[in-house]
Amino acid sequence: MDEIKNKIEAGGERIAKMNEAPTQSDESKSDAGFFPEFEHHSNTDIVVGIKDVEKTFVLGTNKVDILKGINVDIKRGEFVMLMGPSGCGKSTLLHIIYGLEAPTNGTILVEDEDIWAHSKNWRAYFRNQFIGFIPQQAFWIKSLSVIENVAVPGFIGGRGYRESIERAYKTLEIVGMKDWAHYRPFDLSGGQQQKVSFARSLLLNPKFIIADEPTGNLDQKSGVQLMDLIKEFNESLNITVLMVTHNPDQVNYASRIVKMVDGKIMDDIIDKEQINAMKHEA
Amino acid sequence: MKLNFFSKKNDVSLESEAGYEKRHHAVSRPKETWKETHTGISFSMIAYISWKNLKVGKARSILTIGGVALGIGIITFLLSIGFGMQQMIVSEVTKNNPIDVIDINNGNLDNFVSLTDDVVNKVKNIDGVKKVERRVNTGGKIILGESQTDVIIYGTTSDYLDMLRVNYRDNGGSFSNDGETALISDRLANLLGFSNPYDAIGKKIVYNIALSKEVSSSLDAEKVTDNNEIIISGIVNNSDNTYIYLPTKMLQDKFGIDSAQDGKVVVADMAKFDNVKQQLEQMGFVTSSIAELIAGINSFFSTVRVFLVVFGVIIMSISAMGMLNTLSVSLLQRTKEIGIMKALGTKRYDVFKMFILESIIISFVGGLLGFFGGYGLALLANKVLIILGKRMGTELSYFVYVPTGFVLAIGGFVLFLGIITGVMPAFRAAKIHALEALRYE
Ligand SMILES: Nc1ncnc2c1ncn2[C@@H]1O[C@H](COP(=O)(O)OP(=O)(O)OP(=O)(O)O)[C@@H](O)[C@H]1O
Ligand SMILES: [Mg+2]
Repeated sequence: MDEIKNKIEAGGERIAKMNEAPTQSDESKSDAGFFPEFEHHSNTDIVVGIKDVEKTFVLGTNKVDILKGINVDIKRGEFVMLMGPSGCGKSTLLHIIYGLEAPTNGTILVEDEDIWAHSKNWRAYFRNQFIGFIPQQAFWIKSLSVIENVAVPGFIGGRGYRESIERAYKTLEIVGMKDWAHYRPFDLSGGQQQKVSFARSLLLNPKFIIADEPTGNLDQKSGVQLMDLIKEFNESLNITVLMVTHNPDQVNYASRIVKMVDGKIMDDIIDKEQINAMKHEA
Repeated sequence: MKLNFFSKKNDVSLESEAGYEKRHHAVSRPKETWKETHTGISFSMIAYISWKNLKVGKARSILTIGGVALGIGIITFLLSIGFGMQQMIVSEVTKNNPIDVIDINNGNLDNFVSLTDDVVNKVKNIDGVKKVERRVNTGGKIILGESQTDVIIYGTTSDYLDMLRVNYRDNGGSFSNDGETALISDRLANLLGFSNPYDAIGKKIVYNIALSKEVSSSLDAEKVTDNNEIIISGIVNNSDNTYIYLPTKMLQDKFGIDSAQDGKVVVADMAKFDNVKQQLEQMGFVTSSIAELIAGINSFFSTVRVFLVVFGVIIMSISAMGMLNTLSVSLLQRTKEIGIMKALGTKRYDVFKMFILESIIISFVGGLLGFFGGYGLALLANKVLIILGKRMGTELSYFVYVPTGFVLAIGGFVLFLGIITGVMPAFRAAKIHALEALRYE
């Protein structure tokens, strides 16, 4: 078994080396070439439509309303920052959009598709193929190396080891983590782990990226690096980003700020000057 | 990944303002055309991840696999020796006794019957009988020069001797049904003064023979006929008795012996074996056949095997508990990882497969190691026995034997073990929710 594994890994490395060959080394801004399948199947510009979403948790005999009618349309290419006090329901909303937690009422449309009108398996596939997710705390499969972890969405989608690893290597290269490919993920620093998380979220060319406080556990410098990286992808590939953050220093990365308080939208700001002003307010 | 399910129109979402809970029970769920495309994790990747997981918990995996290997090993060891001994004994028994022969004799005093020509003809007429050969025995004395020895005198035919697997030809001996020939046992040759029994071949001896009504129907009283001469024509080896074989026809011509005590009945059709035997018994013969002995041996070993199987089941339930424990602990430790897999889009069924496969790997690797370990150990024990036997002067061979059926049974059992112990943990793993991974501590 070990032999097979080594062979597979050697194969992955060979492919990776092939990709490093000089003829292809001008990859600096050719990321789009790596995402040939990045196509939009809909002519609507609204990637995520959040319509009248309500969420009520039942705790024993108590019913707690967490989301009280959320309406937001996220357009293609937007970098949306979701902000608000702790406990206001930001993560809950993300989980509903990600297809993990059912809304009590309302609709989530992803490119016109009502994701909560489908089966569990449908949503599993949807998450796998169409959404990149970066959590606050990186999560890993302990038994797999960094590159294998990045390749996991590929495995899950039914791709073979080689193909997934090859893609994983490319994405790791893009986020500048290829030298760490064969480390154990938990041996990396928090900032490095989040970059790898980002690489994993990119693996299958998502329609949009959901990030729940991705810099929450990072030091200032790593946080800035990660934000720069995400922003770069947002701009160069027009990937839609929906991010929760508590850090007002990061508002200038956003093209839109959505402020939530107590399960409701308080503010929805698109104006760049207004956004920059928010930074100075803080 | 050319999927266009996103462009598909979804009527359900437009139709109702009611809660999702209600709508999920509605009949008109949209058709999921991509389902064929969502193949899930490929089998080789599931195997790879399962294997990696086993490697991470190395000590635990080794212990668990060792538990299974120990159980299967002990069972294989005992059964391969058992099967081997059975096979060896049966082949040893059938080597000297053809399976299609019924031995008959007139040992039953209540219902005395002698193998006269008439009786032999009757026996031949039984349906399913191929042929009958008989052997008469009586007392006598052999004289050569100064030495005199009491012997059993057998009168028989070369066919009877062949059925008895008496080998005299390889040593240069011969026996003629129609001529005047005599085979003597090597013991007798020794007693007659030949330290090398083969030196006796070609020597003329004198014999007395005791005659009675039992062997010669024309006689009224017992008598002894003295001073008959014959030339020794062959030696019967490995005898522990003193006897001489003479041709039936010669005894009949010379002494009027026309009856016999023992016979061998060859059955032409094994399907009629029991029937022939029954009829022979009705005629008053005491019968015996190797088939009975073999049946007895087989039933003995079957009983032994039943005990071994019970013993094996006990051992294997202990191994199974070890496996269950390992899988449960592994499940608890990996709750979060399973959540991750789910969050990234793994199907329930794939998680289920992953755990089942892990369990099957444990039981299969354990089974494989156990089988070869047990078999190897049995061979080793066999080898030791052979060496010990050699020292004590007995020739032993390798007898350890595993029937194909047993190998298949072990394989099937190991698969069963893997599935049965894996089902519960796998089911629980499949039910873990993706949010388990996203809950920050
Ligand atoms: N499964 C659940 N059952 C019951 N209550 C829940 C559940 N999940 C979340 N909540 C509650 O919902 C509220 C909103 O939680 P949520 O995690 O969405 O907040 P948040 O805005 O992300 O906060 P933070 O900024 O601290 O991450 C909290 O009061 C939380 O306790
Ligand atoms: Mg949160």
